[in-house]
Amino acid sequence: MDKAALDVAVPGAETRYPVEFSASAGEYFRIWIVNLALTIVTIGIYSAWAKVRKKRYFYAHTKIAGEGFEYRGNPIAILKGRLVAVALVALYSIAGQFSPLAQGVLALVFAIVFPWLYVRSLAFNAYNSAYRNMRFHFSATYREALGLMAWCAFVTLITAGFGYPYARAELTRFSAERHRYGTARFALPSLIRIFYGIYLRLLAFTLLAGVIGVIVVSAVAVVPAGPTRWLPALALPLGMFALYLMWFAYPRARIGNAVWNKLTIGGGTSGAPQVRFESRLRARDLAWLYFVNVLALVLTLGLATAWAVVRTMRYRAEKMTLEVTGGLDGFVAAQESEVAAAPEEVGEMLGFDFSI
Amino acid sequence: MVEFQALYYDGKSSASRPVRVRAWTGELEITGEGVRARVPTSAVQVEPPIGATRRILQLPDGAQLQTADEAAIAALFPEANALEGRIHRLERRWPYALAAVLVVGLVAWWMVVYGVPIAARIAAESVPIDVETALGERTLGTLDSMGCGPSMLASKRAAELRSRFEALTHGLQDGFHYRLELRSCRTIGANAFALPGGTIVMTDGLVKLSQNDDEIVAVLAHEVGHVRHRHGLRLAFQALGVGALVATLFGDAASLSAIIVAVPSVLVQTGYSRAFEEDADRYAFVRLKEIGISPRHFADILRRLEGSRGSGARGERALDYLSSHPATEKRIERALAQ
Repeated sequence: MDKAALDVAVPGAETRYPVEFSASAGEYFRIWIVNLALTIVTIGIYSAWAKVRKKRYFYAHTKIAGEGFEYRGNPIAILKGRLVAVALVALYSIAGQFSPLAQGVLALVFAIVFPWLYVRSLAFNAYNSAYRNMRFHFSATYREALGLMAWCAFVTLITAGFGYPYARAELTRFSAERHRYGTARFALPSLIRIFYGIYLRLLAFTLLAGVIGVIVVSAVAVVPAGPTRWLPALALPLGMFALYLMWFAYPRARIGNAVWNKLTIGGGTSGAPQVRFESRLRARDLAWLYFVNVLALVLTLGLATAWAVVRTMRYRAEKMTLEVTGGLDGFVAAQESEVAAAPEEVGEMLGFDFSI
Repeated sequence: MVEFQALYYDGKSSASRPVRVRAWTGELEITGEGVRARVPTSAVQVEPPIGATRRILQLPDGAQLQTADEAAIAALFPEANALEGRIHRLERRWPYALAAVLVVGLVAWWMVVYGVPIAARIAAESVPIDVETALGERTLGTLDSMGCGPSMLASKRAAELRSRFEALTHGLQDGFHYRLELRSCRTIGANAFALPGGTIVMTDGLVKLSQNDDEIVAVLAHEVGHVRHRHGLRLAFQALGVGALVATLFGDAASLSAIIVAVPSVLVQTGYSRAFEEDADRYAFVRLKEIGISPRHFADILRRLEGSRGSGARGERALDYLSSHPATEKRIERALAQ
């Protein structure tokens, strides 16, 4: 993007910035494989550094108005987090070998600890993400997260799953709205209706596919044994795979669009500039992307990983545009006193991070 | 004197300002519209380089410079980022990347073939036999809750089989508590398996399939081989090791597709099971000869087991590399060669 766009930005005027993604598969392949080799020869210890390098690479290549994001995660913090995570998983699986009761108790403990991990992980990621030398923040207390998650689990269970879209929408809203960029708050209206629309459509589609599946199975039984018999038999696994792709791609595209298109950052009475998003993901694109990725990964025994990751991220970036009112220059950093969750400590704390 | 163009961010707002940076001895002079600052070079923290992205300099007051002038940074801060600078140089060149592919491939191959099995054996040997026995008891409990009931054999017949089992395991001073459990299972048909610690389960189906008791002893000897080599525990530890290896190798691919990552683990583990079956066969042949039974009986019952599983002979050969039991014909040949 040219700098001129910034200079003419005046309050009230809206400027559109497409998200640019400048990573290349070749460059990332070298980073990925070198870091993988270092990870494997250090029996995994280097993996924390590898993660930070890969993340820094993608952040820096994701650009708005020509300027990239910055990842500041501390590898030592991530290593500590990983060691704790490995210890917990080992404890859980060993306990399971000896006594289901011990495993049950541990599962309960994990359920109680999970909201804490969730909050810490989001806070760690937000605090270590910056754009134009201004950090993002995530502030929520353990108690809030525990309350919401317990409520969501309760609603989902008591409605035999029909409360799931509601739970998912509320959790999404919670994690979005607790983010800030500097002092600018993230705002997301309720998405319950939209989420129900998405999941009900997915359900209807699945039922339809089930009916077609039953018809095909009966066709297999009816068709006389002969050279053409394998045709309907082949149609079934193919149909299952198509359904799997749909399950994967449809909610991802629709939920991604719903969340981004409703999200606003800043604006309102704060006087800060306002950012809105336009996300144009399509389920069939994602399904095709995924299909080609799987094919490439299988055919190259995994060497296509770097290429597949880059093209997936590029697709997502290219389908996103920012609509900025008031210019990108006017966001203000949070004063230390405004940051309740003591972010410095969060940064130095265990770097729990659920993404791989 | 080094001079370069950069973008300046004060850290207080999201404004970005183009600036010119001049480096004097021990000091950076930053000038631009509304920016005029002098910073001691020693107080500047240089972020490690990554790919062909802008270099980032953190200034002491929370401000930041970003520049595309790699050469200027290298000249100004030759000592910065010793470790990551070296990694960055590896990441930049294709020959190193190809070497990394080889390293990953070789190390992964070595771990699958030697490293994981050796580590699993050491781990299994460090587990006391009492603990292993407790694990076996739990597995037996699970089995009984999954459609296996008490044996329907007449008690006289059961006693006969137990005494043959006694004779088979008599004098094996290896610390395991051998015990034969007879079960009637609807779902698993003719089968026998070893649980960790020394309990061996045999189904009525297998007894019915056999034509003489030497055949049964032959199968039980194979299961004793599994116990003695602690195959159950080792397989569990190997699964852990392979899981960790696969997670490391394919972690990034897993974020794209979780299911395809399961495939390599399954393939490797069926390979491990095949190796264990062969080990157990080898033990069985030796032990059978010790107690005066010809391994031919093992071949006989294997052939009948194969027949009872339907006409899968051709498919079996095709799936040789995927199957957990080595192709039965090969095992029969080996038994007959004894």
